[in-house]
Amino acid sequence: MSVLSPRIKPSGPVANSLTSGQLPRFVELYVLLGAAIVTGLVMLLVGFSLVGWLCLTAVIYLVALAILSSVVENRRKATDRVIRGLVTVAFLLALIPLVSTLATVIVQGAGEISWSFITSVGAATFDPNTLTVTQTPGALQAIVGTLIITGIASLISIPIGLFTSIYLVEYAQPKQWLARTVTFLVDVMTGIPSIVAGLFAFSLFSIIVGPKAFSGFSASVALSVLMIPTVVRACEEMLRLVPGDLREASLALGVSKFSTIVKVVLPTAIAGLITGIMLAVARIIGETAPIFLAASFTDNFNANPFDGPMQTLPVLAYTGYAFPGKDIAASNASAWGAALLLVLLVVILNLIARVIARIFAPKGMR
Amino acid sequence: MKFKNVAATGAVFVTVALALSACSSSSTSGSSTSAATSTASAGVVSTLDSSLKGTITAGGSSAQANAETAWTAAYVAQVAGVTVNYDKSQGSGGGVTNWLAGSYDFAGSDSPLKADQQTSSQTICGTGGGLNLPVYLDGVAIIYNLPGVTSLNLSSATIAKIFNLSITTWNDPAIAADNPGVTLPSTTITTVTRSDGSGTTQNFTNFLSAVDPTDWTYPASNTWPIAGTSAQKGGSGVVQAVGAGAGTIGYADHSAIGTATAATVNKVAFSQDAATAAFTAGATTVPTTTGDLSQKFDYSKLTGATIYPIPLISYQIVCTTFKDPAQAALTKSYVGYVASTVGQAIAAKNAGSAPIPDSMLTQIQTSLATVK
Amino acid sequence: MQSAPTSSSGSADKTTSSTPLGSGGSKDPTAAKRSTRVRPGDFIFRGLSTGSAVLIMVILAGVALFLIISAIPAITADWSTNDQLNTGPTAAFPNFWAYVGPLIWGTLWAAAIALLFGAPVGIGIALFISHYAPRRLASILGYLVDLLAAVPSIVFGLWGIIVIRPFLLPLSDWLNANLGWIPLFGGAVTTTGSTILAGALVLAVMILPIITSISREIFLQTPRLHEEAALALGATRWEMIRLAVFPYAKSGIVSATLLGLGRALGETMAIALIISPAILVSVRLITEGQNSQTIAANIALNFPIATTLQRDALIGTGLMLFVISLAVNSIARAIVGGGKGKRKKSGKPGEPGPLSQLPSGDAATAIALDVVAAPGRAGVVDTEPHISEDDVEGAGK
Repeated sequence: MSVLSPRIKPSGPVANSLTSGQLPRFVELYVLLGAAIVTGLVMLLVGFSLVGWLCLTAVIYLVALAILSSVVENRRKATDRVIRGLVTVAFLLALIPLVSTLATVIVQGAGEISWSFITSVGAATFDPNTLTVTQTPGALQAIVGTLIITGIASLISIPIGLFTSIYLVEYAQPKQWLARTVTFLVDVMTGIPSIVAGLFAFSLFSIIVGPKAFSGFSASVALSVLMIPTVVRACEEMLRLVPGDLREASLALGVSKFSTIVKVVLPTAIAGLITGIMLAVARIIGETAPIFLAASFTDNFNANPFDGPMQTLPVLAYTGYAFPGKDIAASNASAWGAALLLVLLVVILNLIARVIARIFAPKGMR
Repeated sequence: MKFKNVAATGAVFVTVALALSACSSSSTSGSSTSAATSTASAGVVSTLDSSLKGTITAGGSSAQANAETAWTAAYVAQVAGVTVNYDKSQGSGGGVTNWLAGSYDFAGSDSPLKADQQTSSQTICGTGGGLNLPVYLDGVAIIYNLPGVTSLNLSSATIAKIFNLSITTWNDPAIAADNPGVTLPSTTITTVTRSDGSGTTQNFTNFLSAVDPTDWTYPASNTWPIAGTSAQKGGSGVVQAVGAGAGTIGYADHSAIGTATAATVNKVAFSQDAATAAFTAGATTVPTTTGDLSQKFDYSKLTGATIYPIPLISYQIVCTTFKDPAQAALTKSYVGYVASTVGQAIAAKNAGSAPIPDSMLTQIQTSLATVK
Repeated sequence: MQSAPTSSSGSADKTTSSTPLGSGGSKDPTAAKRSTRVRPGDFIFRGLSTGSAVLIMVILAGVALFLIISAIPAITADWSTNDQLNTGPTAAFPNFWAYVGPLIWGTLWAAAIALLFGAPVGIGIALFISHYAPRRLASILGYLVDLLAAVPSIVFGLWGIIVIRPFLLPLSDWLNANLGWIPLFGGAVTTTGSTILAGALVLAVMILPIITSISREIFLQTPRLHEEAALALGATRWEMIRLAVFPYAKSGIVSATLLGLGRALGETMAIALIISPAILVSVRLITEGQNSQTIAANIALNFPIATTLQRDALIGTGLMLFVISLAVNSIARAIVGGGKGKRKKSGKPGEPGPLSQLPSGDAATAIALDVVAAPGRAGVVDTEPHISEDDVEGAGK
């Protein structure tokens, strides 16, 4: 075909070149199976390993498909097929660690999660007769702490971040010093080490409320410092993608700028905005270092964000692994339980966010 | 311990009864040291005022984390109105820094206050400065993973040579000389150390530079001084890495090694008795201020079949004069309980630490009594 | 008023990030002020937005200032004679720069490896989800990837220890035995697996969800008309993506990658748990004792034990991390800006449009080229609506 096509061009019949010279429909599947079998046989001779087999199969599949397609079809189609193969392979490749991580968390954590683990506060009971201290695992104090600290951080960060991105996209002139400074600072702050944010918040509150400044709120402020840049960055990008036509159409109808942004721009970008915000929430909900510095550590239940140390799920997970009790296996188990709870919590938050996005999204959007 | 509150009398009896019951139970459960020392004089007793109310905020050393958990549980069980928050994630340096800033009522630290820290502590503690009270005793264990070798003995000099990376294989003549009759494989030695700063490293390098200064030419330090080892985060990281790779050797707090195999050091295996014996034999008080009980080990005295050569001490650091008298009462009560025979027995039973000898506990109580 | 559009479009050419839409709006408030249609909602909303921007500036500048003030004592101190700095974690370094230098290298090195693995795969997944996978499957997959963003870094650390480290051991042995002459794979091969390769791989997995989620949203935002035009003209799916999706999504992809890079540069716990670090400059990937340490992990590891001045030194290294982020961001913005310029140029009449990159050996392409020239330009003009708006405003004057 590749030889033929230049001749066809002058002679005319275009329809032919579209229908002829195509590989059969399921050719990719056949090539894949062939590659797998060939590689499997070769590997059997050399010594079999699952990872090697999968990798080699992928390579041979891509090469074979490229050759086949460029011989039977043409170079463009071959490229297309190879890219499709590459993207699929990249996807499958990436799926391995993703599934592996999630599977590890679920497998290790599922055994620990029970109704009592979720609803009771972790406690240590002391038996004065034997002097034995018995630990009962519980995560309620950490769940409550996570929700409060993350909640306050989100309440601070999302409005500020969203309004700033609206400012940057809708109001600021690109060369205005304020816009440039904000963009500059946001760039810088995306690389802030989380521990430094915690230190900043604690120092700030030490100045305000005195040396015993450990509180959930100061941890929230630390997390906000980490969260705001992420929210601005993600939302700015999503707002810029809203086609200018939509804005102009709205403005041309005499709608005010305010209404245009609220009724046209934001709903159009809502799916992306929610994704960006949830990414930012997910980024901070798993932080440990700033919580340690700003909210200290406690095993006790505390639901008052303005007074005293608080515990969160990632902190529970981290301390369970890093500073295990005498029974190391039990500590690690409760660490995994806390990790799984955290993932579940984010899943629930994500679902809620998606529902919200669906409600506000304009009809007919994909 | 003097308490103005007479209501505490009832609690005194309770605590004495506790202490006595502790003795009987611990002797049956095999923790013979605490039983032996406490039966001699009923031990050092701390009276608890069960009417105290408030919150103690503290933090620091992760080495004493498990002991603190046990002490807190036991203390709160008897003084229900008090909440104790001990932040084990801070580490010794973070504990002291926060304490110096006035954020903590006491700091847990693996090393006593340095001279400049003692000076700056006067801003929060008045002219008396801070007191270093040794309340936690453990040993540094040498753990290894060598398939086929179930027991291993290492002399101090061999340990120094392994950790300065001059011995690189397990069948080295020096190791063979320490282990007559044991078949050693030619596996390469992977030395596992701490990547984070820690009191364990401090105590271990103290030991190395004291026992074998010819082989160990590096300074004693709280961070591992040589590159080229497998450096892991935290004692848990070291234990994990030693478990994961064949031919590995590392060091960790004995109470945190779990199921890992520990080598004997100079033919002495770690036991709580052996660590307490080491404290009795080798520790001397080097006060930095009046009433201070900073300890220094003379490693040359830590020889003999019943003395573990690498002990590890951790302190609770308190002010001589608190800014808030209420916090002073709370902290004195808690630290007093920790530094009682019962408190030490609780830590020994639940955290695997070695009890501090009663003679030192008495000194701690005396120092504590001066705290205002 | 003839000059107004040209000057405005000129400035839009130079500015970096998707300015056409932004500047279109930015001209408007001035117009609104002049006209009588000032509404309180507008005023408040504008105030809120601007106020938030100012607030961010104040917060972030406050953090930066705090860091600089904290770090100065350690940066200016003589480390060899200072009592606090010549012991413990900062011993053996004559001054701040000798300490932070290897750390900067380690940070960049680990992040670069992570990005090398993570970015192409992340964008590939996004493309797969947005343009290759069946619709129903795509939403499930998208959700799965989002879920991964929720996994806390401590879990990635533990996962790295119990899964990735042992998994890479045979590979490390093989690389060392067969390719040991390459410096990357040289040195004493690891026995416990705590290598920078393991750490960077975990880092790559950690940044995947960030890159993928944002890229996916951006790919999905590609105007469907552009895509369908390309397909209708006989472009294969890949050509459609290359010609319609990528140019549109370029700045977004770079932003997504930068957010991922930001996480990779600042990641603390996973790195600290997995890698066996040393403060030195090394390119070795699979050794135990020669892995360059990263700034963030070094802070986390030594912060608990550090004395006051050592803390200041660690904060100083954190400040350097800022400088790195800034440099990386600026370079990336410059790259995006350059790309924008080229894209604009290609839209000018007389120059071949983007579809001219289609290979010309094919009947379909031949037709496509003829037809496409106009729509291709139209597509680009499409993104510069402010020109006409400026004209209107100018006329209003």
